[in-house]
Amino acid sequence: MKTQTLDVFQVIADPSRRQMLLMLSKDSMTINSLAGNFNMSRPAVSKHIKILYQAGFISVTGIGRHRYCMLKKTGFDELQHFINHFDKFWTNKLGRLQAILNSKVK
Amino acid sequence: MQNEIKQSWHFNQPPQEVWDYLTKPELIEQWLMKTDLQPVVGHKFRFTFEAKPNSKYEGVVHCEVLEVIPFTRLVYSWNGGTMDQSRTYHSVVVWTLVPKEGGTELQLQHDGFEVLEDILTHTEGWKSCLKRMESALT
Repeated sequence: MKTQTLDVFQVIADPSRRQMLLMLSKDSMTINSLAGNFNMSRPAVSKHIKILYQAGFISVTGIGRHRYCMLKKTGFDELQHFINHFDKFWTNKLGRLQAILNSKVK
Repeated sequence: MQNEIKQSWHFNQPPQEVWDYLTKPELIEQWLMKTDLQPVVGHKFRFTFEAKPNSKYEGVVHCEVLEVIPFTRLVYSWNGGTMDQSRTYHSVVVWTLVPKEGGTELQLQHDGFEVLEDILTHTEGWKSCLKRMESALT
């Protein structure tokens, strides 16, 4: 199944994938146990996992015959970066507003 | 992990005067962006700015006024695309004006990043996961 590369926002916009991340935030899980929580085909689950993996939200490691999914920091860092960007944006703009208003005080 | 933006600024002007700078386009343009904002609930408006030439960035933020309490509180949605225009986001900007020491304390809250919230609030969970993974690997 072809999986296009999605950005972090598209990745977590999908309810099933959000649910998977929330479950993995509590503990690492095998692909099988993850799949058991969803009413979808195993290939569909695999596709979601692949997307999460490609976007850096999870890592998948094989231990014996089991493949474990674990949360990974990379994907989350990109979201944090976005929030930080806006924080700086407002600091910059409100600093300008303050300069304007201060200059009005005679 | 931070999942909202909160800032607080003090101005020497009373709330009535600061309010004008949040609600009158010709004054907003001086410090923020060009806009056709009107402080009327339900009014849809935009902030626009010059994107760099050759940039894919459309330079538009799409907004709708959600709440207006004159001189006290202004809320609007803030929806746009990221710089490379590869993704969109939804969020909410809340302005609160509090009279203080003859001037105004202007509080800004920018949050409700729709696609982010439930993920970011679970950050403690993934931190402990990473620790577990670390100890499992060493």
